[in-house]
Amino acid sequence: MGKFMRQLQYQVFLIPILIIYTLFTIYPLIRSFMLSLTNFNGYSKNYDFIGLKNYVRLFADNAIVSGISFTILFALATTVLVTLLAIPLALILDQNFFSKNVLRAVFFFPSIPSGLLLAFIWGFIFAPIPSGILNTFLRESFGMSAQPWLSDPVLAKISTIVVAVWATTGWHAVIYLAFLQSISKDFFEAAAIDGASKWQQIRYITIPLLAPAMTVSVLLLITNGLKVYEIPFALTNGGPGFETHTITQVIVLRGISEAQFGLASAISVIFFLIVLVIGFVQFSLMQKREERMQ
Amino acid sequence: MKRKSLLLIMVMIATMVLSACGGKDSSESAASGAEGGQSKQKVKLSILAWNNESEMKPVLEGFQKKYPHISFDFQFAPPVKDYISKLQTMLLSDSATDIFMIAAENRNEIIDGGHAIDLTDYPFMDVMLDSNKPMLSKDGRTYAFTQNGWVGGWFYNKALFEKAGITELPETWDEFIAVCLKLKEAGIVPIYDTMQDLTQIHSALYGNMVLSQDPDFDEKIFAGEKTFADGWTEVFKVWKRDLIDTKILTSDMIGLTGDQVESEFALGNVAMFFSGPWVMDKLTQVPDLDFGVMGLPGFEKGQSYYVGAPGVGFAVNSKTKNKEEALLFLEYLSSEEGLQLFHEGTNLIITAKGFEAEVHPALQNAYEEGLMQGRIYLPMVTWPRYQEALRNQFVVSTQDMAVGKITPEEAVQAIDKKFIEMENY
Repeated sequence: MGKFMRQLQYQVFLIPILIIYTLFTIYPLIRSFMLSLTNFNGYSKNYDFIGLKNYVRLFADNAIVSGISFTILFALATTVLVTLLAIPLALILDQNFFSKNVLRAVFFFPSIPSGLLLAFIWGFIFAPIPSGILNTFLRESFGMSAQPWLSDPVLAKISTIVVAVWATTGWHAVIYLAFLQSISKDFFEAAAIDGASKWQQIRYITIPLLAPAMTVSVLLLITNGLKVYEIPFALTNGGPGFETHTITQVIVLRGISEAQFGLASAISVIFFLIVLVIGFVQFSLMQKREERMQ
Repeated sequence: MKRKSLLLIMVMIATMVLSACGGKDSSESAASGAEGGQSKQKVKLSILAWNNESEMKPVLEGFQKKYPHISFDFQFAPPVKDYISKLQTMLLSDSATDIFMIAAENRNEIIDGGHAIDLTDYPFMDVMLDSNKPMLSKDGRTYAFTQNGWVGGWFYNKALFEKAGITELPETWDEFIAVCLKLKEAGIVPIYDTMQDLTQIHSALYGNMVLSQDPDFDEKIFAGEKTFADGWTEVFKVWKRDLIDTKILTSDMIGLTGDQVESEFALGNVAMFFSGPWVMDKLTQVPDLDFGVMGLPGFEKGQSYYVGAPGVGFAVNSKTKNKEEALLFLEYLSSEEGLQLFHEGTNLIITAKGFEAEVHPALQNAYEEGLMQGRIYLPMVTWPRYQEALRNQFVVSTQDMAVGKITPEEAVQAIDKKFIEMENY
């Protein structure tokens, strides 16, 4: 059997997944782009071609502008905070101590329930009324007055980001933990013999060898952050005003609620391009950093 | 080995095909005992509703008893957004149920898209109140049947009113504000409003300030003769001046959910909140909670306004293969038995002709003064177009006003801008 035939033999196995991928990813993408050039309202199959009108409208729409800025803030903030918390957490959970398995489960647990459920529970914690759990705690412990956690423009953004960080840190710590456990102990023993302190071992051995884990974790955080929907929607419903609207919420709002499917498709196309560019740039930078560090 | 596997697969496929055929045969087999003793084909009628299955159970069972050859494939989606998006997906993919509900929020899209059968001339439509028809109609033709309506008002805690020294209910807007301030002085939260929807205070104020003078004002806005600014600016100014600036309503209430407000009222932590018949069951089960329901007073005595609307209507899918059975179900809904069973299951206020409605005593005033005298308003019902887009803009404008980001004039400008934007889409 020739080399070509041998390779072709393996490619055949890709056909089913290629068909599924084309049907459920490529086709909807193309269809979205086509609909973004129309005034399709989501109900009637009779619609007109309106060119780039929807794309022009994007930039005059306050909800879209706010949605883009909050989504980018959310993605960046959660990526930085989760990374800063997950690595130390993974280092602690990697130690050999009595309750390590229980603690790993405890930190991993928040990533299991859906974002909607978590946000619902946190809604009670953040309840802006004096009887809200957090406000009661702050009043009884520090004599603080009730804070509008979900209705002040700044506090609402912070509250949303805090819940997302709380929910995902444990999951990303597990990624780092898996990589940590694959690092050979010999490195640390050799470093210890050479007189390296614990901090130096972390700085010069652990962190560089965690670079591939960081690439994966940061990529997931950025992409999940950009397509966030559930937590801000369930916590603040996008408010006050447009302050915590996310791009995905705007797409649903314009497409489903307001029957402007063409406009929603245009937002989706732009959103797709934003995620593609950010994802590509981030992945390239992280890979270069990975190569440099190793 | 290969042959055995192949044989096994073939047998399995053959079994599946035969069993599928068998299923079809049995579902379509003649059923005896149908009305009139005639044997009829078994039919499965699919329904998508925003009343859940337990609410619909009595009427579905009553219908099945009468027409044993018809069974149901019942689907539920909670109102409003979830229901609308589920129905929209179904309609677009030609997989919508035989019967579905039309609400104020999606009536235009459904009617314009030709998704619902014109029911205007069917005899059972005579039962429907004329005042219920416009919400489910276009150009004088009605596309859904509703037998109910709802009216909501401001639930107030009698004990808290008494504690604050309030002995009489406010009869004018100024008295209403004075009552709120008196409650506040007594250390009681006067009223909770989540501002997560087009607020009911706004709706009732608009009723009192604008519709009382000109009932066709909304029509004029959509005909281009008036703007939202013409009608709503004063409403927003009064709301901001008397409720926001006095801190009776505070911006932190934006973060509350409807459930939290309900439970705060049930716990006696707030004196008033807006709700409707759907909350009666819950509140009446709270021990020692003595409450009443009032309308929002106008500027002169006797001008209270309530919030309310016709209930969502049942429509028949224009692409249904079971049109006859679907119409039979609507006919049953309009019968005395159907109305009674629907009321038993849903506890909604039945407004059909010839049916004496049962209303909770606390809602009696709202029913008589509001619903029956037409002193109710819900913008999404009278707005003929862009209900959801405008509603969303109202919510955003209200929240921005509450946090002090924009003035009432800017809030209304944003709504007019949204309207023009939608007109040009």
